[in-house]
Order: sequence, then structure tokens, then C-alpha cells
Amino acid sequence: MSRTQANRPSGVEAGSGPDAVLRALADPQRRRMLQLVRSHELAAGQIATHFDITQQAVSQHLRLLQRAGLLSERREGARRLYSLRPESLEPVRTVLAELWPDALMRLKHVVEQGKRQKQEERMTR
Amino acid sequence: MSRPDTLRASIRIAATPAEIFPYLVEPRLLVQWIGTWADLNPEPGGVFALNVGDTPVRGAFVSVDPPHRVVFTWGVPGSAALPAGSSTVEILLTAEGSETVVELFHHDLPADELPQHEAGWTSFLDRLRQVASS
Repeated sequence: MSRTQANRPSGVEAGSGPDAVLRALADPQRRRMLQLVRSHELAAGQIATHFDITQQAVSQHLRLLQRAGLLSERREGARRLYSLRPESLEPVRTVLAELWPDALMRLKHVVEQGKRQKQEERMTR
Repeated sequence: MSRPDTLRASIRIAATPAEIFPYLVEPRLLVQWIGTWADLNPEPGGVFALNVGDTPVRGAFVSVDPPHRVVFTWGVPGSAALPAGSSTVEILLTAEGSETVVELFHHDLPADELPQHEAGWTSFLDRLRQVASS
């Protein structure tokens, strides 16, 4: 592990995708931040009032959530407004969106292979 | 807050609907393409039980119209986001020449399932972990 990596706050290296989302959600404070903005936009300062940590630490958490694709950020003057991107929190959909096309590919394979086997059996009979 | 949604997948198979249909309703044939274990009673109200990896999928057949259409409910017992029987899978088989187009619709999926309570996060994160590692 290099020094730069060791000095980085945990999870900041996260890109997008399930791994990044998992890392972002590993922290209870970040989970509470998501719950705060699930139904309406809030400015970073408003979010910070719910926590006993510095505004800077809150901003760092928000940036991490944004980078993982969980939050969207909108600027209004000097304020940054955050809201939840619900489409990023869809493990059920993600599982199924991957499951069904793969399953149908296998269905095609087993049906067509089963048919070929029957035809070969008929020919050798 | 929850916004029901539908997933769609389709494929073209070089076989007739009658040749494909048994693969949708017979446990021995179903597990050749999805899941590892199945218990199916393909009649309206009949049991639809399937294990996909470690995940038990439970529901009931809604409609069974061989060889063109089958509908069953789909859910995971104990899941807050997708309880047993909460979503619906519809499979349509349409002959096109010597082939069949298989269309699959997965209806009534939760589009937003951010857990409401801290307890809900545990199963949510477990599922997400499965996605991440698959």
C-alpha cells in the first residue's frame, strides 16, 4: 500500500458501480445523509446541522456519496444543493436486469441443444 | 415513494412455442436455465418456488396458457423491498416462422427501495454485496 493511498480518506477512491455504492453506504453517517435528502433537496449547510462533525467533514462525505452516484448536486448561487438519485439504489433491479438476459440465453441454449439431440437420436435410429 | 416498474428481456429461439413451453413449467427443465432447485405447480394459484443461488424466490402461478403465455408472481421471503409474491413475471412465446420470440416482462418492481429504517439497511447491503461480488 503506497502512502498516498493510506492517507486518502476511506472510500474516496471509489468510482461508480455496486462496489462504490457499497463503500459509500458502509458509513452510518452517510446513510443518514441519504435519508435526509431522499424526498427533498438540502444544502450542505442544512445537512451539516444534523451532525456533530465539521462542515468540512460533511462536505467530504457528500462528495463521496456524489462520486458513488448516490447523490446529485445542483448549484444555486453559492449554495450546493444535494438530493438522492433513487435510480442508483436499485440492487433488486440490478440483480434482475442481469439475471433475465443471462437466463434467456441459457434457455435458448438448452432448448436448441435438446432439439438437436432429439434429431440426432432419430437419425441414428 | 415507491415507483413500480417493469423490466423487459427477449430472445429468439430456433424451436416452436410448444417445444419451449415445458421449459417454463417443468421443474426438471426450468432449472436447466434458471435456478438450482424448483417446485412448480403450473395452474392458477399453484406454487412457484425456485432457488436462485442462495436466494429463495417464492410466488404463485397466475395464468398458464400453453404454449403461448405463463404468468407467475415473484418475491423473496423476508425481503422488505420485494416480499414473496410482490412482483409479477410474464413470459410470452410468439411463433415467427420456424422460430419463437420469447419475451419476458418483470412487472411491479420497486424502483426506489432506499430502506426507511436503519434495520432495513442490513438486508439491503447484503443484497448489494451479492451484486457486487457476482
